Amino acid sequence: MSEYDDEDMDYSDQDDYEDYYNADRDVMSPPHNPDAEYFPVQCLSVDEVEKFLNELVEQLCTSIHVTPSMSKVLLYENKWAVQDVLWKYNEDADKLFVASRMKTLQPVSVKTKRDKFVCPVCVGPVAEELGITNLACGHCYCDNCWRCHFENKIKQGVSTELSCMALNCELLVPEEIVLSTVNKPNLRKKYQHFAFREYIKSHPLLRFCPGANCTAVIKSKESLAKKAICTQCETSFCFKCGNDYHAPTDCATIKKWITKCADDSETSNYIAANTKDCPKCNIFIEKNGGCNHMQCLSCKFDFCWMCMGDWKAHGTEYYDCSKYRENPQNGSESAKAREALKKYLHYYERWENHSKSLQLEKQTLDKIKERINSKVMTSKGTWIDWQYLLDSATLLAKCRYTLQYTYPYAYYMDNGPKKELFEYQQAKLEAEIENLSWKIERAETTDRGDLENQMDIAEKRRATMLQDFFHI
Amino acid sequence: MAATRRLQKELADIRDSGLKSFRDIQVDETNILAWQGLILPENPPYNKGAFRIEINFPAEYPFKPPKINFKTKIYHPNIDEKGQVCLPIISAENWKPATKADQVIQALIALVNDPEPEHPLRAELAEEYLKDRKKFFKNAEDYAKKFGEKRPSD
Repeated sequence: MSEYDDEDMDYSDQDDYEDYYNADRDVMSPPHNPDAEYFPVQCLSVDEVEKFLNELVEQLCTSIHVTPSMSKVLLYENKWAVQDVLWKYNEDADKLFVASRMKTLQPVSVKTKRDKFVCPVCVGPVAEELGITNLACGHCYCDNCWRCHFENKIKQGVSTELSCMALNCELLVPEEIVLSTVNKPNLRKKYQHFAFREYIKSHPLLRFCPGANCTAVIKSKESLAKKAICTQCETSFCFKCGNDYHAPTDCATIKKWITKCADDSETSNYIAANTKDCPKCNIFIEKNGGCNHMQCLSCKFDFCWMCMGDWKAHGTEYYDCSKYRENPQNGSESAKAREALKKYLHYYERWENHSKSLQLEKQTLDKIKERINSKVMTSKGTWIDWQYLLDSATLLAKCRYTLQYTYPYAYYMDNGPKKELFEYQQAKLEAEIENLSWKIERAETTDRGDLENQMDIAEKRRATMLQDFFHI
Repeated sequence: MAATRRLQKELADIRDSGLKSFRDIQVDETNILAWQGLILPENPPYNKGAFRIEINFPAEYPFKPPKINFKTKIYHPNIDEKGQVCLPIISAENWKPATKADQVIQALIALVNDPEPEHPLRAELAEEYLKDRKKFFKNAEDYAKKFGEKRPSD
């Protein structure tokens, strides 16, 4: 990946003319290391994806003699790895078909005598003009029941997972049977639409762009937790999990962290378990010591934590408080809860703070643009002269973004030398980023060389951190 | 209506089979979609009582699954206070139109006999079931005796 020097370089761009300008821009931007985060992706339209998938289907059809719809199911069930399917097919074709839910080990014997057939689903005689259909598993039902089954399932959004009606039979219904049975045009359309979406979802190298209202499908060469950027709507996301890009934290950890922050259970649990309202002024009070004689910091009211009554009534006979029940286990449990919460809040506050700073720095970027415009208008240098300011703000956002995502990583790390090293590097990165932010906010008075130097330092810190801790 | 014909057949089959663990089946003449019956689990602690259940079939039956509700209070990790039960075989995703009511009832009885604490509806009961089986059995038995119906003797 080191051959790519510019993250913004367009992957599909093979035009010499464009290359010339890209090369030119490289000269303008500050020198930096080959970007280890660069991840080449292609942005496909629905038609292009369809073509791409159809090519794979045809490729398999010509190699082994199966119908296109069978080929589709084989690929869908085997993550679209054509070579893999071929290998398994040559090894043991039956095993492959069973594993791909296209055959069953012991098919039920097919009763073809139509006149005596009673459909087990509707338990009625099959009308003269109606057919009966059995799948590869041998389970046979009348076409009317199949149609009701398909229509009901399609309405639920089921397509590729549509299976036989028999209990414990997971055999998949072939596409052509569904399409020849269902005759309502809107349901047929729905079925095909859902199936197409499922095929894309099941392909490890394809992903729907998560951008709002964006219909693009992103294709990459590898399924990695790297930053993919949609060239249509410019949304960036982690290619592997589809969430916001999250280096150096991995996909599973960030998911845990986001869920944790979303339900915020620890905070609310703690507040519920460990705070009470002052009986006089109703302010929240946290009990952080063992003594039950409390004094409200706000209104100075003395009261008993156990019975919430006036402390004066307790006199010296504190232990006679009738509500007092100390559960010795409670003490250690709540201490543990408090400790866990303190740790969580430490990381959460920093995570949240950097997220807010990112928002604020977006405003700074707008101000910079305004300032550049006014400078150019008053002939204080050309637009190109001030370009470095924009570059610095972009770099600041990139660095702060990474810094934000180092906090969930650290939260889930085990204590030890590795964590110490991580937090050391994190602190260094943080310091350089704050320096950079300071200098950008005061860009008028900061020397351009000084600012560019600071950009270089911050980016190097960031790159080192990712190199050392983001293994994918 | 496909549902009526099939339910009439299923009801007749169940009544003919003379199941010991599901009896006293009551179906309103005017509405074959609502059944009531008494289940008699064999395993302790639930073998101390009989439990009344209600099975409601949708009009789209058998293409949509029936719903089961307990009318008798029961102390069970997979059945909540409202009598709702979590039975995978009748969930909308798993439902197979060829599944018979009889198979659903068998699956229900199996679940009552052997609770599945791994996916509970009542987490606190599941925890008790796993951590203090003795206490759980006692509570469940007390419940069965207090709220359960009398088991028919034959």
